[in-house]
Order: sequence, then C-alpha cells, then structure tokens
Amino acid sequence: MDTLSRRKFLQLSGAAAVGAAAPLLTMEDIAHAAQTRPLPLGTPILIMVTLYGGNDGLNTVVPYTDPLYFSMRPDISYAPEKVLKLDDQLGLNPAMTGIKTMWDQKKVAIVRGVGYPKPDRSHFTSMAIWQSGAPVARLSSGWLGRWVESQEVDPMLAISLGSVLPPLLAGDKRSGSALPLGGLVIPTGTFAKDCQKLARAASTDNKLMAAAATSMRTLFSVSNTVTPVLKMPAPVADDLPTVNGGNAGGDSNLAQQLDVVAKLIAAGSPTRVWSVSLGGFDTHANEANAQAELLGTVSTALSRFTSQMKNTSRGKDIVMMVYSEFGRRVKGNASQGTDHGTAGPVFLIGDRVKGGFYGDQPSLSKLVNGDLAVTTDFRDIYSAVLEDVLKTPSEKILTGWKSKGQYF
Amino acid sequence: METDRLEIARLYHRFGFGPRPGEFKAALASGLSATKTALLSVPAVDSGAAQVAEPNITNLGIRPDQKTSALIEFNIALRQQIKDLPLWWLDRMALSDHALTERMTWFWHGHWATAIGKLNHAYPMYLQNQTLRKYALGNFGEMTSALLNDGALQFWLDGGENTSKSPNENLARELMELFTLGVNRYTETDVRELSRALTGYQIERSSGKVTFNVKRYDPNIKTILGSSTTFNGTSAAAHLVAQKDNAKFISERFWFRFISSQLELPSDNSLEKSFESRDIRKLVTALTDSQILSNPSYSIVKAPVEWFVGVARYLKLTPSALKTPAQLLAYLDKLAQVPFNPPNVGGWPTDEAWLSSASAQSRIQFASWLIKQADLSALTAIAPNKRVAWLQDELGILAFSNRTRLALDGVKTSPAQLLQLAICSPEYVVSA
Repeated sequence: MDTLSRRKFLQLSGAAAVGAAAPLLTMEDIAHAAQTRPLPLGTPILIMVTLYGGNDGLNTVVPYTDPLYFSMRPDISYAPEKVLKLDDQLGLNPAMTGIKTMWDQKKVAIVRGVGYPKPDRSHFTSMAIWQSGAPVARLSSGWLGRWVESQEVDPMLAISLGSVLPPLLAGDKRSGSALPLGGLVIPTGTFAKDCQKLARAASTDNKLMAAAATSMRTLFSVSNTVTPVLKMPAPVADDLPTVNGGNAGGDSNLAQQLDVVAKLIAAGSPTRVWSVSLGGFDTHANEANAQAELLGTVSTALSRFTSQMKNTSRGKDIVMMVYSEFGRRVKGNASQGTDHGTAGPVFLIGDRVKGGFYGDQPSLSKLVNGDLAVTTDFRDIYSAVLEDVLKTPSEKILTGWKSKGQYF
Repeated sequence: METDRLEIARLYHRFGFGPRPGEFKAALASGLSATKTALLSVPAVDSGAAQVAEPNITNLGIRPDQKTSALIEFNIALRQQIKDLPLWWLDRMALSDHALTERMTWFWHGHWATAIGKLNHAYPMYLQNQTLRKYALGNFGEMTSALLNDGALQFWLDGGENTSKSPNENLARELMELFTLGVNRYTETDVRELSRALTGYQIERSSGKVTFNVKRYDPNIKTILGSSTTFNGTSAAAHLVAQKDNAKFISERFWFRFISSQLELPSDNSLEKSFESRDIRKLVTALTDSQILSNPSYSIVKAPVEWFVGVARYLKLTPSALKTPAQLLAYLDKLAQVPFNPPNVGGWPTDEAWLSSASAQSRIQFASWLIKQADLSALTAIAPNKRVAWLQDELGILAFSNRTRLALDGVKTSPAQLLQLAICSPEYVVSA
C-alpha cells in the first residue's frame, strides 16, 4: 500500500483543505459579482455533492434479483417489491423517489462499480484520494482545485458551502472559495476603519500572522447593491438522523446549502463549480433506517433543487455529480450495518446527461477480499466532467490519465 | 531575554490558556525555569477549579415513549444537560489555577474525539471528560484501557454492536488509525483481527456503563501486528500501546497540536524517547524543552475555544455567568468549535482553518460582546500612551508589530475598543 507521508496525514486528519489558503466569500461578494458580471447564459455549471462517511452502494443501487445479495445480507437487504426498479436487475433504494423520477426522464447516469486502484478503507485517506483525483501520485491538491488553477483568476469560479474548504477545491497556489452559511454582521463606521488597519501586512509577520491579517482584509468590502433575497439567512434544516453514523464528517444541511446555491445561480453568480455535502453515511450499525433517511434527504434535496432551477434560465446548464469515499462491505455485520468497503455507484444528473447505466455492475460472486471489485476508475468520470462540462483539457489535471467516459 | 519572553509566552498560551492579569510580567521576573516548574507542577489544591460546582448532570434513563408527558420532561432535562455540560467545562478552563490540566484534557478530547450528537445523552460524555482529566498527564496505556471501557466512546464507534457473530470494525479501525498508531501502520487484516479482539462489550446508552458479555466475545486466536494469542480488548489495547509506532504517533500528535501543524517534528526522536514509558507528563516536559520552545518558526493559531478561554481568563469572566450562556455557545458555534461536539472522529482542524474572513468577523463581534461584560478599570487607570505597551505584557504577547501598534494607537483613548482590537490582532490570535 502506498503510504501517505505523516505530514499529509496530519493535515488530512484535521479535515481542512491543504495547499493555498482559501478566500472566504460573503453572500454580498457573490451577489455583487452576480449583478456586475453574470455567468454567460448557456455556460455549464457543475454541482459536486459529497456524501461523507462511505455510502453503501449496494443498498443505493440494489441488485434485487441476485440471490447472493440476499444470502450475504440477510438482515439489511431490500425485498424486490420494495425497490424502485431501474431495469430487470437493478433498483433504487425505496427512499430515492425523486431521483427515480429524473431517471425516468433520462436525466440520470448511474456509473457502477466506481473506485480506484488499491482501495484504502480509512475515511480520511480514501476521501483524500477521491478529492485529489490522483490515486497514484497522491497529490495534496484537489482535482477541481487544479482546474481552478488552470483558469483565469476569479474567486467566484468555484465555491464550497460551509466555512471549511474541502481538499477538493484546494490548489497549490490558488484555491476555490468557501461561503459560510448564515448571515454575518459587518462592523461599520470609524471603528471599521480601525479594524481594517489590522489587515495590513507587517514585516515581522510569520506565515500564520500574515494569514490572520489577510482574513481581516476582505471583511469590509461590502457591496451596497445586495439583493434582499440573498441577504436573508436560509432556514436551519434540522431534519436529519443523528442516531447512526455521525462520526465521519460532512455537513448535515444539504437542502439548506442547495437553497443558497439555487438563489445564487439564479441571480447569475459567475460560478462554474459548486461543492455541497452531506455527512452521516458511516452506517456501521442499524443501517437500513439511517441510510434510507439520508438517501431520501439527498434525493428530495436534489429533485427540489432541479425543480427550482427549471424555472430559471439556468436549468439546462446544471450537472450534478454525487459520490462518496467508498462503498461498504458486501456482507452485513451483526449490527444490521456494514463496515468500510470499496467500489460504489456515482450519479450524474442533469439535462445534459445521457441517462442510463454505465460501467459493469461488480459481481457478487467475484469479490476481492470480501469487497466489490472496482469496474470503473473515477478518473474516467473526472475526465468527462472536465472535458464535457467544464470544457477544459483533462489530462494534465488528472496527471496523465487519458481514458474518458461518454456520459454527456 | 527576548527568547525567554518567547518561551514564557508559549508556555502560557499553549500549555495553558494565556495569562491572568499581571501573571505574565511576574513570570518574566521570576524567569523561565521557575515558570516552567510552576506550570508543570500540579498543585495539591486547585482553589480556582474548586469554585466551579459540579454540574447537575445525571443518568436520565431510557427515553420515554412517544407522545407521553414523560417524554417532554425528558427532552427538557436532556436539553438543559447538553447545554450545561460545555458551560461547566468552559468554567473550569477559565477558572482553574492549573491551566495545564484543563489544557491537556482539552487536547485529549480532540484526540479521542467523541461528539455528543449521536449518543444524545450528556451523562456518559461527562464521565468521559472526567476520565480524560484523570489521565490527562498520566500513563497513556492506562488511559487507553480506561477509554475502551468508556461508554461514550464505545457507543460513538459502535463498540456494542461488535460481536463474535460478525464483528463491527468501526472502533478497531479508529483505535489504530486515530488513537494509538496512525494511518497505514497496520494492515486491513490487523483491523479485522483487532475488531474480533474488541468483541464482548455491551453499553448502556444513558449511563455509559460498559459491561463484558462473554457470549458476545470471540475467544479464538487473533493475529494482530504479528502477534498471535487469544487477545481481548484489554490485552489488545496493551499490545497496541506497546508498539514503537505508538510512541511515534502520540509524539506526532502532540507536536501537531502544541508546536506546529505546519512544520515536521525534528528527526532526532527525542520526543519518542521521552515517551518510552508512556508517561504523558514526560512527553509534555520534553515538548517544553528550550530547543523547541525558543525556535521562532513554530507558530500556531489558537483554536476558537483556546482564544475564548484566554480572553475569559484575562478578563476574569466566568463563562456560565455571561449574558447569556446560550449566546456564548452560539458564538462558539459560529466559530465552528463547541466542546463535546467535534466535527468528526478525527477531531478539529488547525491553523488556517480558523483564519477565514467569516471567523474574523465573528471574532470581532464576539470580542465586543465579551468586553461589554468585563471590568476594564485596570486598563482605564493606565495613562493612554502607556496602554499599548502595558497590554502587550498583560496579554503575554511576544511583540505587537508596527501594523498593530499603529491600529491600537488610533484607539488608545477608548479602553474597550483598544482591548477589542488587541485580542483580535494577528499577534494574539496566533501564538508566535
């Protein structure tokens, strides 16, 4: 197994982005940019949806006619009549009705058995590999962070919801930006000017003090032309189970994040990549209810978002990609749950997507150490997203990876 | 003298929560060695901590059925306890005479990072906090063994679900990856074997009581890191702690949280050697060695709780007495760090993660709110043009930069604004 250097691990276990420091945006910054230089109509927009904790792929896209599925998971399998049938072998988790509707409209591509060589079962390492897009080179930058660096400088280009930037958007020299949820009150008057003095560089600053000063620099650059609707704090969504799997990171308010994204896209934010996330998929125990509830949240939030966007001029431009750091072990454990596994399905959703199945379904009779075999390398998807959605040459960003899926 | 000032400032800010009024100047006068000794000695009586009454946190028992009045009462009591628990600890951090004990307890909370949300009971988290404090400067092997019998940690990582019939690997993996050895210092087979050794534990959720049920235990031989025997939880934990990699990993984690998350620890293995007996106090002592503490490159950002407790200690504020305590928790939540609620089992992030524009804004508001509730008469009594230099000593700052001096000079006639800018300045937010 490749070893991450201790340095990298320590950074990753801190869960924060490595590499270049992330600019933090306020809602006002983005609203201002949306009004002064809106994204040209027809520009594709990518929404990355990260499911933290390791989503159980076999209970997401269920092989409901495979006897091995039932014999290996007696406690946590879905009966054939419960699943939302996609074809005569596979069906969606019963909670995913919203995504099923979009599947029927041919707007959902399901890529099966996605992973990378030599799977790692640590949450932190595996998520770092997925987000870096470089399973061999193990870069500390993210694949979309390197995309940001390939573009002209624009802090609005790629935005992650929440105050901590995921490694996904971190570049070596430049990174995507982070947008914390909730309103912020900004100091005003002469005291604001005094605060701003602290933002200047000092010759005696070390790296961290310089970063602390920088963090105060953009504080007071407020646009006066803010659309009132953007200023309104989004409602707090407190509707997720915390009973299970709450220990592997990720946010717990996907609908709230997507609400903000919807408003900003509709306003014309010059942003081509958005990153949102949901945590809680680490279902070692009592999986069925917890996972179904989470998948229901994802499905409802994504289909609601799609409906919201349909009423705007941007609806046709949106591509969503849903992924997790690994799937779970095929055999259930005794706790009606599953332990960390390997390959899982990736969802691509949107008008630009050619709906249907891609990649081979990993066989339950040909397991590797009790885990599903990887049949599609995630870099095939990344290259397609880079080339066909972001219209950017992918080979350099993916450190020489050449093959590409045809999903769009 | 200048390096003494740097080392003493670091001792206060990293191995405590910053100086109380007058403390830093007194420490400079008594010298580095005396300050170090005082910091590392646990006093026989901690009258500061004794002022903090134990919280009214009890075993609430099993959650009553839906739609009964008992459930409403249960929920009210639970909400109150979940609020009281962090306030109680923040009070201890702010009032304790021996800040190192609380600082180490805080470090261990981020190490064995357990969040209250999944458990949704305050009592076992309270017990875990007492365990962390008990072993904060003790023996790491004993600590690990105690944590294996900790209901909050066991529940958090599904330990009670791990049985001989079909092991659950959650606890086993994190025990090796995050608690004792570090990632990739074991194989996937080791994870599976260790999870078999950790079978048999049963947890009562509301009391945090952990019992051993032999029927759920896998008595067969397990091979963990090359040794084969009929390991159980206790012997397997001892086996992990006995590994050379354990000393390496814990040294790395101490380095990362107390010295620098940016720069590697020196390759001379001196920290590892100091931890040979797994005596945590010896590792802390090794970290406070002048070779390390006097090196100007090792700066570190104060995490939000560390920053807040530092301000509270200096301003003699009792966190639970602030108006209102709920507002205090809301500020900490905005800064993304509330005790008993780490973001994941890997603990909180470090350094740049705390330096966003959003946190800078929240910090300015938070500072203003705190200062309004503080007695500033000591600062007011100082002549305006002496205030900046005086504050530099009071807050235990190595040196304000010209930039900050200029900003502070502009508000020196307003004690509240002066203090607000000083505690939001890069020189206070970052421990030099």
